[in-house]
Amino acid sequence: MAKTILVVEDDNFLSGLESKKLKEKGYEVMTAGNSDEAFKAIADAKGAVDLVLLDLMLPGVDGFEILRNIRKDEVIGKVPVIVFSNLYEEKDVKEANHLGISNFMVKSNFTLDELIEKIKMLIG
Amino acid sequence: MDKDEETNKTDTDLTTLDLKGLQEEYLKLKELSSVKSDIVSIAAHQIRTSLSAMKWIIKMFLDGDVGKMTPEQENLMRKAYEGNDRAIGVVSELLLVNKTEAILDKQYAFAKVDLAELINSVLFDFTGEAYARGVEIIFLKPERMHSAKADKDKIRVVLQNLIENSIKYSDMHGKVFITLKELDDMMQISVKDTGVGISDEGRSKIFQKFYRDPEAEKKEVVGSGIGLFTSKKIIADHGGQIWFESGPGEGTTFFFTLPINK
Repeated sequence: MAKTILVVEDDNFLSGLESKKLKEKGYEVMTAGNSDEAFKAIADAKGAVDLVLLDLMLPGVDGFEILRNIRKDEVIGKVPVIVFSNLYEEKDVKEANHLGISNFMVKSNFTLDELIEKIKMLIG
Repeated sequence: MDKDEETNKTDTDLTTLDLKGLQEEYLKLKELSSVKSDIVSIAAHQIRTSLSAMKWIIKMFLDGDVGKMTPEQENLMRKAYEGNDRAIGVVSELLLVNKTEAILDKQYAFAKVDLAELINSVLFDFTGEAYARGVEIIFLKPERMHSAKADKDKIRVVLQNLIENSIKYSDMHGKVFITLKELDDMMQISVKDTGVGISDEGRSKIFQKFYRDPEAEKKEVVGSGIGLFTSKKIIADHGGQIWFESGPGEGTTFFFTLPINK
């Protein structure tokens, strides 16, 4: 059965590219542009999310707050999260690690194929 | 009141007024500088987002995901990919300069600093960059050692400059060795790379502001030429020394020392 990935990204163009690549590699993809959409998608999927790809700079509630809420959630609290962002100040990396992430990847430093490699290593 | 007393009084009043005015101007400039720094940071983030999209799209073309290209088209796309990566480098450099300026504006705050912990933390920040360039970083440190007396934020800038250079100027799959040891009253840190090395011309100029070594220019690596200049100033302000050993094509080792915290 295909693994499901939730892409939380407010830039539609980037989100489209990420989704296209993930679908080509056989993953089911759900997308969300903000916190409300992310938790609605999780509820719709009844928590059946295998990995969250999370941007940090989002309108309204930022990625850190979404990550905090994911970790507090009884159903998906332990889901692997890859932060995929162009924010990478030391404080951002520290805070994300403190909240429990699997990887912190800087968008401009990686290609989508390298992102897929990381995802494969985490959930197959 | 005689004439001299009157003159002195006027001078004193003017000085007080001048000082007050200068203080107000200083606070205004400081606020302006902080706003400028925030604008640069936000703009850089947005530019980097667009450049990431370009990088991924061009890569899709190069990988044949959207159809086969002619050799000429492929060649042009490869050039576009390299150009885009250079632009990403320019934005990163801009952010680094912006951040360095903000840190240098602050007064020195000397405290006990665990250098091994600081080096590990800086190395973590470069994980992505090292991975992307296939550069292996090896940190060799003794089991036990003293702390340094230093300004942690400013020494972080020095380590970032040296480690970033060692990755940038290494060939793909190069190696970077970092060592930390004690020498009498000083701690010595070294960062050795297997990169392009420093030219004969650059040996006397490498710490000058805005200087870029011809070997670095040949490699088409983006740089502002202020990293080593800033590092030298910071280390001198700590009462330490910074120097290097290098030759063209032989790699480079940068050393710096900091006083031990007693």
